[in-house]
Amino acid sequence: MNHQPFEEWLLNEKLISPRERLDLDAHLRICSYCSALVETGKALRTVKKVSPTAGFSTRFQARLALQKAAERRRKRWGSILFTFGGLVMLVWLLGPYLASFFAAPATWIAAVVEWAIFVITTVQAMAQAGSVLLHMLPGFFTPFAFMVLISAFAGVGLLWSVSIWRFVRVPRGV
Amino acid sequence: MNDELAWILQAQQGNDEAFTKLVEEHQTHVYNLCYRMLGEPEAAEDAAQETFLRAYQNLHRYDQTRSFATWLLSIGAHYCIDRLRRRKLSVFSMDEENDDGTSFEIRDTASPDPEVESVKREDRDRLHILLKDLDETDRAAIIMRYWYDFSEIEIADSLNLTVSAVKSRLHRARRALAGMWQEDEPRSPRARTERRKVYESPAF
Repeated sequence: MNHQPFEEWLLNEKLISPRERLDLDAHLRICSYCSALVETGKALRTVKKVSPTAGFSTRFQARLALQKAAERRRKRWGSILFTFGGLVMLVWLLGPYLASFFAAPATWIAAVVEWAIFVITTVQAMAQAGSVLLHMLPGFFTPFAFMVLISAFAGVGLLWSVSIWRFVRVPRGV
Repeated sequence: MNDELAWILQAQQGNDEAFTKLVEEHQTHVYNLCYRMLGEPEAAEDAAQETFLRAYQNLHRYDQTRSFATWLLSIGAHYCIDRLRRRKLSVFSMDEENDDGTSFEIRDTASPDPEVESVKREDRDRLHILLKDLDETDRAAIIMRYWYDFSEIEIADSLNLTVSAVKSRLHRARRALAGMWQEDEPRSPRARTERRKVYESPAF
């Protein structure tokens, strides 16, 4: 059976003229589907709202108090673990220097100077390696390959930024 | 400044009493949405409580240019949709949850005719059962449209859909409901006559 245009009128809740009303009534007498559409529409409009049982807000307050207590517990344990972990890490990192800290000042100064020399030579070595690579690479890659490489890096950077943005943005409806 | 906005501002500054007033003001709207979405009172109570809890935790994100009720219902609808999707994944059957069918009771004291009232109540019960067979998002759209008189724009905003998607979902849901209603039509001629009498009455 052809339900048009009656189905559209019913779904869009169109305001119809008296003439259209007569046509619709005639169609509804023979079409059980469109009648069902009318009946469900009317049933949807007449269903009442149901309320929660008495004391809903009191129960909410109790739940909120429980949630806050759990949150406080979680935060307390989190800060204990964080502090303890930080201390362990600090002791582990400073361990080798602690012995020299308690040793004579000359030994302590020697250790600091040795460490500073190590850092400076490492930085120098890395700078030299970088400079050698920069001189060698153009021989291996064509300018086109460089463009592709840089575009790929830019693409990865963009993807990373978009991912971070999607991750941190505030979801709608919350 | 209206009372609601004042309560919201106070609640945003950590006043729990002000938030309790907001809960009291909106509990029926939120509970009703959850009940229609989930189909049983216990789950609805839990979901409504969770909705308010989420609203409390995210109150600083509330945009005061939007209606607070719409914002709350949006949180509730998203929570119920997620819950229904999780439920679908489990082996739990929705029909088994509510097979006694006694949890749904509506009284309309305005109607003087008990027979008409009985047919209406029967239809509401049928509708409540048929709603469970709709897709979760379609169900949320139907509830917002017909229970809360939300416009298509408001539904789109609440459910993160486009207006045309909302329109299409509403039409699809209405067609599905009509199809199921037709299949589920009471067999007895008397029941059919009574139903016709109800919908032909001047009350409609």
